[in-house]
Amino acid sequence: MATALKNRAQPLPAPGPNEFDTLYRDHVDLIYRYAHRLCGETEAAKDLVQETFLNAYRGLKNFRGDARISTWLYTIASRACMRMRRKRKGEPKHELSLDEFVPRSEGEFRLQISTEGLSPEAALQNKELRQALDQAINKLPKKYRMVLILCDMEELSAKEVGTIMGVNERAVKSRLHRARLFVRRELSARGIIDNNDHKPGGLRA
Amino acid sequence: MTTKKVAMTKKKQATPSSPRHRAGQRHCLKLLRQLSAYIDDELSSDICEEIRRHLGDCPNCEVFIVSLRQTVVLCRHRPAHPLKSADRMALHRAILKKANAK
Repeated sequence: MATALKNRAQPLPAPGPNEFDTLYRDHVDLIYRYAHRLCGETEAAKDLVQETFLNAYRGLKNFRGDARISTWLYTIASRACMRMRRKRKGEPKHELSLDEFVPRSEGEFRLQISTEGLSPEAALQNKELRQALDQAINKLPKKYRMVLILCDMEELSAKEVGTIMGVNERAVKSRLHRARLFVRRELSARGIIDNNDHKPGGLRA
Repeated sequence: MTTKKVAMTKKKQATPSSPRHRAGQRHCLKLLRQLSAYIDDELSSDICEEIRRHLGDCPNCEVFIVSLRQTVVLCRHRPAHPLKSADRMALHRAILKKANAK
């Protein structure tokens, strides 16, 4: 079904119930995963999924298959998320500039994440590290959070993320870099990262 | 100004801003701007080689890049929240109800 939708050249008069059901069945888990990462909590994620598929239902007849259907759904979800005016605690109100991430001291340069040689999966078993990571991502301004989630969590290409967000690849990469630097710095501020002298870090639960 | 005073002034100026230190900082800042592209393997081999040489000479940047790489790896491996079956069905019903409401 997804292939049929992708390859369709002409718009249909209206989505049939089966067509929408198949779209929903094939993509709801993907969009919920994205929505939960964007919103950081279940109820808001469900609201975003509902809004996304409601808009998809209404727009399905006009979907011409220029992009992958998942890209189209990510785009709808991202736009719906941008409309949600929900400021987060600690969210910077300004654009992230590279200058603010330039370390000002040797100590700042040498902050590091203490995962103690564990695999990322094993390291993320640690609740404190998981929460610190989530909180850092949630504090990112939306357009940076979206890019980080789409590139580094959903693992889409910069080109595809550019299509979703309506910006060029250069802008995507610039935002991604700042978002990563922000998360790195936030983790350090929470004591998950320790100095180069290898004091006990956050992973020792 | 006495000879001793001149010598002290020169020493004070030379220590924090010697040519080597300034050059090192410039390299560090240049590297900082390119770190994501380096991690994502998007740079030319010449630039990569230059960065590797700098990393070998600069423990600060070496540690910095490790921590940024770890940040990316942790993001990539953060498990997702699954949607419960009941919620999947309830959402489907709610969407169709709203879509068909006039």
